[in-house]
Amino acid sequence: MPDPLIAQLKVLVVETLRLEDVTPAEIPDDEPLIGGGLSLDSIDALELVVRLEKEFGIKIASSEESRTALASIKTLAAFIRERADPSRLPS
Amino acid sequence: MTPPETAPSTPPRNPGPSWGYRFMRLCDRIVPEPLFRPARAVGTWIALLNMPVQRRHSRDYLRIVFRREPTHREIFRHFFAFEEVLMLKLRVANGRPHRGRLADGAPDFHRFLDSAKPALLGTFHVGHSDLIGFILGGQEKRRVSMIRQRVANSHDTEKLGQLFSQWVSFIWVNEGESLLFALKEAVSAGDSIALKCDRLEFSAKTEAFDFLGARRAFPFTIYHLALIFDLPVLLTVAVPGAPGESIVHSAPRWTPDASLARAQNIVRARAHFQGFLRQVETLLRAEPYWWFNFLPLNPEVSAA
Repeated sequence: MPDPLIAQLKVLVVETLRLEDVTPAEIPDDEPLIGGGLSLDSIDALELVVRLEKEFGIKIASSEESRTALASIKTLAAFIRERADPSRLPS
Repeated sequence: MTPPETAPSTPPRNPGPSWGYRFMRLCDRIVPEPLFRPARAVGTWIALLNMPVQRRHSRDYLRIVFRREPTHREIFRHFFAFEEVLMLKLRVANGRPHRGRLADGAPDFHRFLDSAKPALLGTFHVGHSDLIGFILGGQEKRRVSMIRQRVANSHDTEKLGQLFSQWVSFIWVNEGESLLFALKEAVSAGDSIALKCDRLEFSAKTEAFDFLGARRAFPFTIYHLALIFDLPVLLTVAVPGAPGESIVHSAPRWTPDASLARAQNIVRARAHFQGFLRQVETLLRAEPYWWFNFLPLNPEVSAA
């Protein structure tokens, strides 16, 4: 059974960054989001952080936190689970 | 903008001796201007002779603007124009009164000044543009975070920053990954953000525009930031006016349109930037020495 938060995050990454050549299913759970196969730059990272903050009501306050959060989809899901109000997470 | 992978251990420095700014400030206090100005001209000739790289870039730029080979005297005038603005910045940093005046035809900038809402302020290394953030702070009492490259000997900028610290703060583009979070914090705090839109260094997003007879690459990050933070973009340059005065030219503001797709917003943004570049080019064709990029001109981009 796929993790619903991971599935939601993959859709959110593709939508937010308007990735035309990538489908959510093609984003690996364990690959780095920035500097990995998605070819995202620092402005993409900023856009993703702003969208995640809005979507889940969390705060990513430093580059260290962002590095941890955006290390991969899996770490991002763990980061959000730790900080977000459970009511904002998919069931 | 793209922060460097690792922050350099020592920041780059402006050309010239480490004691240069302090020496100029000291001379400005004790040497009468009728003597000091010719002395600065001599100093500029010495600088010109000792800066072959900047001299070459000046020559390349002036050749394009003049459509002929520039003379040594014209290259000197380019260097001296820069020196005089540097002197002005040192004087303003020392507390000399200096005002900004809006050029005709900038109603959107007027509206920005009259409102409390922040904006992204894009400017260029042209004329008095380095003073725009300080004018907005000191004169208009607006909080501005200025994105700048920290250099080891930016004495003029540091002094100006100290004088206007209540209103102006810096986000250093070359000081690692904290840049993006500093930017986010500044926007959250309601600051306007001022960034230069002519040099490609550190720019994550670039686009090609018509400028000085060719398609050339320019930073385009400001519009992406506008879309991310839903802020308007105001492009401005300031040029010398009457003594003690800068004239601020500004284009109509660009605002992200939430009803349009992002791609359509980017198309609108390209047209907006191109329009202002035409305005800047018109200013430079009239006053070529106001272009203060002693670097290779923005690279040509092939139509393909």
